[in-house]
Amino acid sequence: MKSNGYAGRILRVDLTDERIWTESLPREWIRDFIGGDGFAARVLYEEVGHDVDSLSPQNRLIVATGPVTGTLWPMSGRTVFVSKAAQTGIWGESHVGGFMGPELKYAGYDMLVVSGKAESPVVISILDDDADLLPADNLWGMTTAEVTAAIKKSRRDPDVQVAAVGPAGERLVRFASVIVNNARAAGRTGMGAVLGSKKVKAIAVRGHGAVEVARHDEFVQLATEAHMRVRSNPQAQQMHRWGTWILTAVKQSIGELPTYNHRTGVFDGWESLSGDHIRPRYTVSDRACFGCSLGCKKMNYVPDGPFAGTLEEGPEYEGLMAFGSSLGIADFATTLKANQICNRTGMDAISAGTTLSFAFEAFEQGLIDEKTTGGLRLQWGDGSAAVQLLEMIARREGLGDVLAEGTRRAAQRIGKGTEKLAIHVKGLEVSGQDGRTHRSIALSHATGARGADHLRSLVTVDQLGYREVAAKRWGADRLPEIIDPYTEKYKAAAVVETENTYCIRDTLIVCWYSVAWPPIFWIEDFARVLPLVTGIEQLGSVKELVRIAERQVTLKRLFNAREGIRREDDRLPDRFTKEPMPDGPGKGQLVNLDPMLDDYYRHRGWDVSTGLPTPETLRRLSLDWTARFA
Amino acid sequence: MPSQLSVDYTKCTGCRICELACSAKNEGKFQPALARLKIVKYDDLGVDIPNVCGPCEEAPCVDVCPVYAMVRDPVSKMTYVNQDKCILCKSCVGVCVNGVIVLDTVRMRILKCDHCGGDPECAKACPTGAIRYASVGRIGLMGRHGKVTAYLREIRRVVTGH
Repeated sequence: MKSNGYAGRILRVDLTDERIWTESLPREWIRDFIGGDGFAARVLYEEVGHDVDSLSPQNRLIVATGPVTGTLWPMSGRTVFVSKAAQTGIWGESHVGGFMGPELKYAGYDMLVVSGKAESPVVISILDDDADLLPADNLWGMTTAEVTAAIKKSRRDPDVQVAAVGPAGERLVRFASVIVNNARAAGRTGMGAVLGSKKVKAIAVRGHGAVEVARHDEFVQLATEAHMRVRSNPQAQQMHRWGTWILTAVKQSIGELPTYNHRTGVFDGWESLSGDHIRPRYTVSDRACFGCSLGCKKMNYVPDGPFAGTLEEGPEYEGLMAFGSSLGIADFATTLKANQICNRTGMDAISAGTTLSFAFEAFEQGLIDEKTTGGLRLQWGDGSAAVQLLEMIARREGLGDVLAEGTRRAAQRIGKGTEKLAIHVKGLEVSGQDGRTHRSIALSHATGARGADHLRSLVTVDQLGYREVAAKRWGADRLPEIIDPYTEKYKAAAVVETENTYCIRDTLIVCWYSVAWPPIFWIEDFARVLPLVTGIEQLGSVKELVRIAERQVTLKRLFNAREGIRREDDRLPDRFTKEPMPDGPGKGQLVNLDPMLDDYYRHRGWDVSTGLPTPETLRRLSLDWTARFA
Repeated sequence: MPSQLSVDYTKCTGCRICELACSAKNEGKFQPALARLKIVKYDDLGVDIPNVCGPCEEAPCVDVCPVYAMVRDPVSKMTYVNQDKCILCKSCVGVCVNGVIVLDTVRMRILKCDHCGGDPECAKACPTGAIRYASVGRIGLMGRHGKVTAYLREIRRVVTGH
């Protein structure tokens, strides 16, 4: 029998009782949520209530896949980790590339739900129908690279996919990540800390089964055409060559390259962080995630200098920003080393880098001194100090122990007015964008379910001035304001539409780059492929997909609302709303958030004064059932 | 000169689209475990190596087969498995140096690449040209041509700055 894109089973692991069992995937979940994020939201909302602490055994860690995971659809190798976030205490999700999700599907599961807490370290080992908890005392303390190699060796199978936490996850660093395939990170919101709190060192998966779709031949034809679209797209070709490093130059040219802890948007040393500089000097090979024609991953090697001999995949633009311009460091080798430390110890590069730049700025302003830092002089551009402090965070040593809590908690702990240097939304550090020069991202950062988030909605159409695309999507009458990055007008409409599309992307699950930059696919393309995969004709309607997306966004909002998130929490750091951009092309720009928020809530059907979904919206989206768990 | 599958591992990104395309064509589903070729990945080194089927100069799978189910085409030197004769002793699976002869443990049969009858799906699906299907002489020519065009592109980049 054909499985129509789904394995049809959920693997449950309870670590406290050492119990492992499977459940069948409810059919109505497919109709209501499609997969990925949506399934995970359904489970998390029901099972992780307000009273559950994110680092307690009651929290769940969900690894989910979507209907196209493991198929030939371009960039379908994504996996999502979902949990109540260690860093923010609200909705947490983190998507990762690599090969983990397809392997889980081939093993015969759509998702894995982990609950409880093991007495001593374990590895969750999945080999087709055999799932087991293996003792991992000997692996505890290892870096992610070491544990991955050790598991592959002990299983005598190089194709085992390992999702591992490093020493940072074990020590519950709030922004600890889960690393799959050595260097692909489920970075944001602290999934590594959740796994660490459950004493799970790694999840090892190997599957030999198949994923079948409803209409195989038509699907293969559409997927092949889709691959050709990726390959022939000029921006995708650029991305294959330069990776996301091309963004450095773009960002610099529009004045949005976060520099000195987001103080400004232009960086003098940007050229050393651009693709033209990096590729000929450092890059040794191009790599791709599962099923990806684009191949944006780069393996880099540092031949000389203080970090000579560093061989590591990455960093991406965000890593360049976090360890480069944001710290005033104009040296690729340093960012590669910092990225390697993040990968090996298991930490989120964005949060780690932003936390470092928080400390650097606090030092500059004299709010912390050498006594607090253990003798380190934190001066902009000092790569060796940055690397040392980063290692201290992973070990939770000295000041590193405070910074391991993330900028929000660290600022509360340090006091002295450092709060205004903590660049975060809802506790999650701001990624490599700036709302002042790009208003739609300001709104995305403020309203994102997991905090300052550039992946749930990032309108690139306005920033890069795609007039025709904008006219087609939102109507020519809204031009030019809707693509003017410096006005608030109509931005909510653009953000909502993009967020809905990205939502469907995250249910499938496919890679960010297939929809965002370059924008190769959009919601209409997903409507074409979904019926071929699932055999459900209803999913071929854009209207229905939009409804599913709205349902998902609203469900995540309900999860956060239960944790006390209201309109007043949808705010940006003062830096973006009170300190005008000091120089660069966006000089003098500021975010005026409130009008955009009003618009956004109206579009979503949420109450404008509280930011909570209205009863009518809940009825319209068939979310009445959530009342039982409120 | 008969066509062959040849690989350039420096171009391979390890995306495994070839494995997907192979199983989609030959099995009607997406199941890399049943693909007739295999990407061997070294994540720590950043190297991915496609392992494809022959033609090997020495064909251990033919030599080892006790029932002469594995046969060799004298012109193309490719080997093929005759499913009617095969007794599933798995000797060929064990002896293949590339590890690309696979046992389907569900339907219990030996799976082996047959170049999709002269139009291999893996080569068509490969996004970077790491897997090619052509006569070896032509592949050498295409390789040299590729190197020259890459060189010219590089010069243009240096001279014009983009």
